[in-house]
Amino acid sequence: MVARGRKRAARESEKGILSPPGYSAIPIKFSEKQQSSHYIYVREHKVREGTKSSWPQKRTLFVLNVPPYCTEECLSRLLSPCGPVQSVELQEKPDLAESPKEPKSKFFHPKPVPGFQVAYVVFQKPRGVSAALALKGPLLVSTESHPVKSGVHKWIRDYADSVPDPEALRVEVDTFMETYDEKMAEEEAKAKEEEGVPDEEGWVKVTRRGRRPVLPRTEAASLRVLEREKRKRARKELLNFYAWQHRETKMEHLAQLRKKFQEDKQRIELMRAQRKFRPY
Amino acid sequence: MGPAHKGAQHRGTAGEPEVMASALEGIGKEGKKESSKKRSGSPVEGLLQPVKLSRAELYKEPTNEELNRLRETESLFHSSLLRLQVEELLKEVRLSEKKKERIDAFLQKVNQRIMRVPSTPETELTNQAWLRDGVRVPLHQVPYTVKGCFRFLPPAQVTVVGSYLLGTCIRPDINVDVALTMPREILQDKDGLNQRYFRKRALYLAHLAHHLSQDPLFGSVRFSYTNGCHLKPSLLLRPHGKDERLVTVRLHPCPPPDFFRPCRLLPSKNNVRTAWYQGQSPSGDGSPEPPTPHYNTWVLQDTALESHAQLLSTVLGSASGLKDGVALLKVWLRQRELDKGLGGFSGFLVSMLVAFLVSTHKIHTTMSGYQVLRSTLQFLASTDLTVNGISLCFSSDPSLPALADFHQAFPVVFLDSSGRLNLCADVTASTCHQVQHEARLSMVLLDSKADDGFQLLLMTPKPMVRAFDHILHLRPLSRLQAACHRLKLWPELQDHGGDYVSAALGPLTTLLEQGLGSRLHLLAHSRPPVSEWDISQDPPKHRDSGVLTLGLLLRPEGLTSVLELGPEADQPEAADFCQFWGSRSELRRFQDGAIREAVVWEAASMAQKRLIPHQVVTHLLTLHADIPDTCVHYTGGLLDALIQSLKETSSTGEEALAAAVRCYDDLSRLLWGLEGLPLTVSAVQGAHPVLRYTEVFPPTAVRPAYSFYEQLQERASLLPRPDKPCPAYVEPMTVVCHLEGSGQWPQDAEAIRRVRAAFQLRLAELLTQQHGLQCRATATHTDVLKDGFVFRIRVAYQREPQILRETRSPEGIISLRDTPASLRLERDTRQLPLLTSTLHGLQQQHPAFSGVARLAKRWVRAQLLGEELTDESLDLVAAALFLHPEPFTPPSSPQVGFLRFLFLISTFDWKNNPLIVNLNNELTAEEQVEIRSVFLATRTKLPVMVIITPQDRKSSVWTQDGPSPQILHQLMVLAAEALPVLEKQLMDPQGPGDIRTVFRPPLDMYDVLIHLSPRHIPRHRQAVDSPAASFCRGLLSEPGPSSLMPVLGYDPPQLYLAQLREAFGDLALFFYDQHGGKVIGVLWKPTSFQPQPLKASNTKGRMVVSQGGELVMVPNVEAILEDFAILGEGLVQAVEARSERWTV
Repeated sequence: MVARGRKRAARESEKGILSPPGYSAIPIKFSEKQQSSHYIYVREHKVREGTKSSWPQKRTLFVLNVPPYCTEECLSRLLSPCGPVQSVELQEKPDLAESPKEPKSKFFHPKPVPGFQVAYVVFQKPRGVSAALALKGPLLVSTESHPVKSGVHKWIRDYADSVPDPEALRVEVDTFMETYDEKMAEEEAKAKEEEGVPDEEGWVKVTRRGRRPVLPRTEAASLRVLEREKRKRARKELLNFYAWQHRETKMEHLAQLRKKFQEDKQRIELMRAQRKFRPY
Repeated sequence: MGPAHKGAQHRGTAGEPEVMASALEGIGKEGKKESSKKRSGSPVEGLLQPVKLSRAELYKEPTNEELNRLRETESLFHSSLLRLQVEELLKEVRLSEKKKERIDAFLQKVNQRIMRVPSTPETELTNQAWLRDGVRVPLHQVPYTVKGCFRFLPPAQVTVVGSYLLGTCIRPDINVDVALTMPREILQDKDGLNQRYFRKRALYLAHLAHHLSQDPLFGSVRFSYTNGCHLKPSLLLRPHGKDERLVTVRLHPCPPPDFFRPCRLLPSKNNVRTAWYQGQSPSGDGSPEPPTPHYNTWVLQDTALESHAQLLSTVLGSASGLKDGVALLKVWLRQRELDKGLGGFSGFLVSMLVAFLVSTHKIHTTMSGYQVLRSTLQFLASTDLTVNGISLCFSSDPSLPALADFHQAFPVVFLDSSGRLNLCADVTASTCHQVQHEARLSMVLLDSKADDGFQLLLMTPKPMVRAFDHILHLRPLSRLQAACHRLKLWPELQDHGGDYVSAALGPLTTLLEQGLGSRLHLLAHSRPPVSEWDISQDPPKHRDSGVLTLGLLLRPEGLTSVLELGPEADQPEAADFCQFWGSRSELRRFQDGAIREAVVWEAASMAQKRLIPHQVVTHLLTLHADIPDTCVHYTGGLLDALIQSLKETSSTGEEALAAAVRCYDDLSRLLWGLEGLPLTVSAVQGAHPVLRYTEVFPPTAVRPAYSFYEQLQERASLLPRPDKPCPAYVEPMTVVCHLEGSGQWPQDAEAIRRVRAAFQLRLAELLTQQHGLQCRATATHTDVLKDGFVFRIRVAYQREPQILRETRSPEGIISLRDTPASLRLERDTRQLPLLTSTLHGLQQQHPAFSGVARLAKRWVRAQLLGEELTDESLDLVAAALFLHPEPFTPPSSPQVGFLRFLFLISTFDWKNNPLIVNLNNELTAEEQVEIRSVFLATRTKLPVMVIITPQDRKSSVWTQDGPSPQILHQLMVLAAEALPVLEKQLMDPQGPGDIRTVFRPPLDMYDVLIHLSPRHIPRHRQAVDSPAASFCRGLLSEPGPSSLMPVLGYDPPQLYLAQLREAFGDLALFFYDQHGGKVIGVLWKPTSFQPQPLKASNTKGRMVVSQGGELVMVPNVEAILEDFAILGEGLVQAVEARSERWTV
């Protein structure tokens, strides 16, 4: 099969590499040794008029199909010949809408195992994008000067990285809780200020924290109230008191039996179809 | 009457799993295969739908007929479903009218042919030269010399007797019994003596056989034994051509009425003279001849053929309900393998029993078949025929013998209407007890409302290997001859006409029952099969009747003791005890000061204790019956090897698990008593398979050799080294630690996580300070090293799932909606600990649970499907075998439990039924009915495999994420294939062969195989075929200083698989056995290999090609195959692509 693959690779290089319209394809390999290559598909990052994007226009290269062993540093190194790279961000999916980018904590949001990803590469100058689009490749992820770890070596490194530093964790938790407490205190103070103060139209907001707490506005609470009402009504009702009630109960029983009978018949039909009645 | 022949067994397709949801989209190869054999019909075929009836239909005026039927159902049957099922079953086993006509025509022809057989001149009985070549006498004539003359004359009368006339015969083995009354001229006085009657009977048949075999009407003419009795051959006739399978006509010669004087044939009389039998001249010492009760019964049986047929036809003749009942009882017996062979509980016996119950007014003729079944089972369950015999004879004739006389001669007593013939003469006490046991189980089943009794009662086969905890084979049977001599059974041999197997059976079973005592619940034996042979051959010898198989149903509470306590030394019983146990009996002094005789068995572990019956059986058989242990093939712990760890071959791991659980108990006490936590610990719960005894390979205390590792001193941890083989795999055991609720907890999900992290840190600090334990805290858990075991403590806050669920609607109402995160948290911190503690409790009740669950898991994982099914779901299936064992009893050995697991997996109809596991018996019958109806209504929204527990009544938490329909189907197919193979191996008296066969996965179905290097497989030696040697894993055998945290959860194959699944999960499925598998199987997903349109979201691993002038995306297979090797550098040995189909 390898031989076949080689033949095909040869054929393709004659024909040129196909790419989806609007993209250009660059072959990418892990190392010299790999015979056939993956293709990354790149284009300039553009968004429709009116939608905001967190990536700078003109200077951003959008990359599809980045192989799992290709890290951000690696991509940055591979594309640096086209021009100085400002930043590289790998993502699982292309981000469609504006999403706030918070710095993620490495303790609470561990990095997921990478698959094939998409990347946004921001060059310092727009020239870098056009140079990248013209790249011929093949790009090599791991070279002698910059070896990339994979397999056992990578797992051992990952394991070492995963052994946590309790001090750093403590510091992070403490800072987070401090800001959180401040925020809560602020809200509390604000709520206290508003307590009992009527707004422009004269409405007073009643909260749980007030002197006379009210029922919390939750679904469960309202369901509980409804349930109580229902039970109260059921207690008052008379059962099988009038002749028509009696008749109806009987009819209801019959209907139940009929329904059950139909169900059973269906079950039997199915079992017969599955030859479930052959005892041996 | 009598046994059905052995041939022509139509094994139904009942055991075959039906195809799961073939319409669901095909993932993997199974899907592809299925679509090809997809049956025509709607996409949801074979799926029950909720019934929708219009209002008009539901509430229309009932007709009289309808009301009658409804009333009948209510009064005569349990439920309408049961009624319909019974009707269907009867339709299936009954003979059709058309076939009856064909059989009748055949019978008529048989009658004519028999009458036309020519007579022969009279000769001496010993002169058999007149018999033509090509036919042998169907009887062992030992001793040969016997007085008397014989000539053949056509029968005086040919009558059809037995179940065919009554219409109670059931398919597939249709037998018509025909009685041939021999003319009086053939017989002489005293023919009852010394087998003369039986010799004549055999010669009569031989002559008949010779002539009938010439006739082209018959497809086959063969001999067999009536009911397996070696003195009474019968002739089997089958029609020629396509009807050969239709019917077997069995000819039974019988004496003319009133030929034998009944008083000569009472059980106390002797009709086989010792002198003649032993070939000596009569000695005149006047010693009394031993009675020959069995011999007498066999003669009597022949005389009573017609009267029995008459009795049955008067009782059953007009009542269709009774006939239905008899047919159902026959099916019931057959499913339990009770009806065949000498001393079986045959259909005839059951018909007579029904007749008895009618005569005692326990059954009324208007009863339905179901009621007859129920009443008969009730009677069988409550009556011990070995103690209180019954009789159909109601006359008070003083000349008749008393029941007590029969009890002396026979173990089981059921007299016919003459009062002289014991119908149960050949039935052994253990068979009777087995019937009683089965009847009791069935009654429990019939009385319980929730279950589908019909399926379990009448449709589920109970072969011996699946019904009994341990099985043992005695082989060769000729050893039993010596046993008879050792047990001094000469009179019995004389009585049985030299059949040493049936002569020895009773005494042997009694011996073993006595020896096994409190360990034994029930002992059953196989009945020698009824052989069939060609007329030109000699009848088979006794030793050729296969093997004798004994089944032991054990009592788990009796299995824990290694001591057999005898009487005190000075008591007179002590001598008996010594004599019974032989050299094993020793005088021992006990703690209470008593000096007693006692037997102590060597058994240290649970596994060995379970096998004490093996020691008992071999010891007793050698001692008392002269059967050496080479002839005893004991099948009880053969599968134990698969769940034994390498170092402990004497234990199946229960002890190691218990040690881990003890360590966990210590840790939880430490947590409870921890001082200085801001909030107190409100609960500590285990949440790991080890803590519910279901981890396949129990953990051992880790003692790392530091030189083998990189050391990270500042964090007190060890790291794996790239230049060494992968270190031993240590899986931390998860423990959930609930903290008390407090107003101080923040009400925001992110903040709660931070607070929890703070608690994890604090916990680690305190445990190190107060108890000197090595700890390592992360944001989500704290790992604790205690006595070599590593625990992973997760702090949990009860209200957290609730907070994750809260969503605020636009109106400002807070409502609770399940989110994936909340469900996961709920599962991990609430349901999993609950399940773990419940199953922990189950293990205390049923000591075999651990073994069964672990074998089951081992098997599923060995089939490379372990990651598709969650641990918990498999544990629950195993628990179901103990909580709902019907129609069996809860297994007491891992072996039988595993067989039932395979049976359950291969036959359970997951599509239409939830598997209800009623843990702690919390669900009432009504609730179960409710669950079933909810299940039907919401079937399409539920996962393919639905397991319901009292804590999880709707959603089936543990099967939410898999298996997919294809995987489940694959599992069912594998189980259905494995079950017969394994059962055959276990039932094979030659020895089981390679018991690991069914644990080896089929690899030919995978598209790509990735071979892994054992150097980096830490659990290499757990493999099914464990390698003789593996790499050093950096462990010391001696306890060393344990201050550094060992490498936790580092398993390269698992890390590799996670990468593969993440990168190529859309394109392929990956299968691996986590217990030392050396191969990863890869299946391409056919749907993903369809060319895809160009889209930014589906470029993963694909490339653009031009197909018919259009640009499409296809997987870049060559590059992906190379990626397999790159991602697993160091671990992967070779990537073997096995199919060329996908290389475009």
